[in-house]
Amino acid sequence: MFEIRDLHFAYKKSAPVLNGLNLSLEKGEIGVVLGKNGAGKSTLFKCVLGLVKPQGEIEFDGQNLQKISRVERAKLIAYVPQEISFGDLTVFDSVLTGRISHFGLMATKEDREVANRVIEELEIAHIANKNVNQLSGGERQKVAIARALAQEPKMLVFDEPTGNLDIQNEKLIFDIAKKIAKEKHITILIAIHNLNFAFAFGDKFFMMKEGVIAHTGRADILNENTISDVFGVSTKIFDVEGHKGIVFGG
Amino acid sequence: MSTTLDAQKKLRIKKAIIISALTLVTVLMFFVCLFIGTTEMTVKDCFDALAGKSTYINNTIILKIRLPRVIAAVVAGAGLAVAGLIMQTTLGNVMASPSTLGVSNAAVFGANVSIIGFAGGFFSSGRDLAGSINTFNPFAVSLIAFLFASASVLLVLALCRLKNFSPNTIVLAGIAIGAIWTAGTTLLQVFATDVGLSAAVIWSFGDLGRVTFTQDYIMLGVVGAALIVFFCLSWRFNAMLGGDNIAKTVGVNATALRVVGLLISSLVTAMCVSFLGIIGFVGIICPHVIKRLLGHNHVVSIPMTALMGSLLLLVADTFARSISSGIALPVGAVTSLLGAPFFLFMLFARRDVKNV
Repeated sequence: MFEIRDLHFAYKKSAPVLNGLNLSLEKGEIGVVLGKNGAGKSTLFKCVLGLVKPQGEIEFDGQNLQKISRVERAKLIAYVPQEISFGDLTVFDSVLTGRISHFGLMATKEDREVANRVIEELEIAHIANKNVNQLSGGERQKVAIARALAQEPKMLVFDEPTGNLDIQNEKLIFDIAKKIAKEKHITILIAIHNLNFAFAFGDKFFMMKEGVIAHTGRADILNENTISDVFGVSTKIFDVEGHKGIVFGG
Repeated sequence: MSTTLDAQKKLRIKKAIIISALTLVTVLMFFVCLFIGTTEMTVKDCFDALAGKSTYINNTIILKIRLPRVIAAVVAGAGLAVAGLIMQTTLGNVMASPSTLGVSNAAVFGANVSIIGFAGGFFSSGRDLAGSINTFNPFAVSLIAFLFASASVLLVLALCRLKNFSPNTIVLAGIAIGAIWTAGTTLLQVFATDVGLSAAVIWSFGDLGRVTFTQDYIMLGVVGAALIVFFCLSWRFNAMLGGDNIAKTVGVNATALRVVGLLISSLVTAMCVSFLGIIGFVGIICPHVIKRLLGHNHVVSIPMTALMGSLLLLVADTFARSISSGIALPVGAVTSLLGAPFFLFMLFARRDVKNV
């Protein structure tokens, strides 16, 4: 179980970003974080990933993440950002960097096997020797996921992973993430802007406003009132054969 | 699984061919550089001299004059090239060079203090040319140049600690501190005698001819140790190519790695500049050539950039000594002559310009 309790963080003392945030996710669940720009989503992810030092508690399976080393944390939680740079590395080498927390100085045969396995799983073997800079946005994002999976983590953090992708690649990345959560039982915390994808993808929803979770729950928490409260827009929720969607206006 | 492995095998073969060719050419160039010069010697004479079995003059030319400079070309070339590669990786800046932290400017200032202020020695007045001859100490210039260069590196890093070693801050602080040293050098030169000014300017030309075996051994020890440390950190440098956040989330202490990389690279550069003067562009050309030929994986690019640096300095030194009978051009000028056109080529010919 992943749990955050009473999380506080401020870049400047006078302007706190997180104000006592609480959140919990069961193993293999997909938690979708929603909120306006500036609501504190990216800062929340930075706290979870150990990129900043917040006050409060962040636990995974009872282990306090703020008290473990960077290497141990990398074995528990991996990160897929919105846009990623890989230098001039090949796809295979990029994925292998995900193994750094597992090997000492040089990659072992076992590390190469893990990298090859996730490359096959994500169906990017045909581009394994290509320079990542020569790939399309969708392919690069698959490489980013492969690198994260090579860490063999128990949790994945996606920060708006499809922000720069077309709708086809956006669906593809969400399908991959869903498959990872269900088949590998990896807990996923993800920020999504597109509310329709959020409906289709998430198990649990965290609607952020002014540094706290204003509303949380299953899909039914996403309704006209909560969306209006968090995003300040009028919407209508529709239901087609059990699939919820959203239209603006009304 | 087989698709990935087959493709990897093909890539490994391609890389092995390039690596073997580059190694072979560098070894050949080592001997070409050693055997080419104004004195007419056959290849047999050269090999005999190398074994100390030729005439006294031939033995002296090969073993005492050419061998130290060829070793210096190999070692300094490797050191400067890899220093450039590590600077570019740790600062995430493709235009970073071994001198980004103002190392060369500080070394030149130190050398000017020694030459103009103390006439090369510690205790001479410097303006008394007759007196300076008695007190001249060839190591004093290098030592003071190195001390200033090292102090400059530590100053830049100490200042950047205030900004948590942000790459952009480091580059800008390096430029600013470098400008201060350059201004100081100009002011010193205003008050120099004609002889002192000439000596200071000539010192700053990168020149392998002034090197001694003792300096070769010191450089070999320092550059060798630096290469081993960098090679051991190869995968951590690979992680840094994705930016600090990615490096941290895969388990790398990006800030510490940046400081260690910059410090060692700058000290290697400081040592090379202190012994040989300024040798430009090696630290920019070589990493870029290797990245294009073999990719950016530091496990390969660190040793091969070192080899490429050695090769470039060997070629440049052979060219510098062969172009004009009796006069050896400063190798620093030759590497810059080769480097500037390459720089322009790199700027205008790269397809993935956004990543430059």
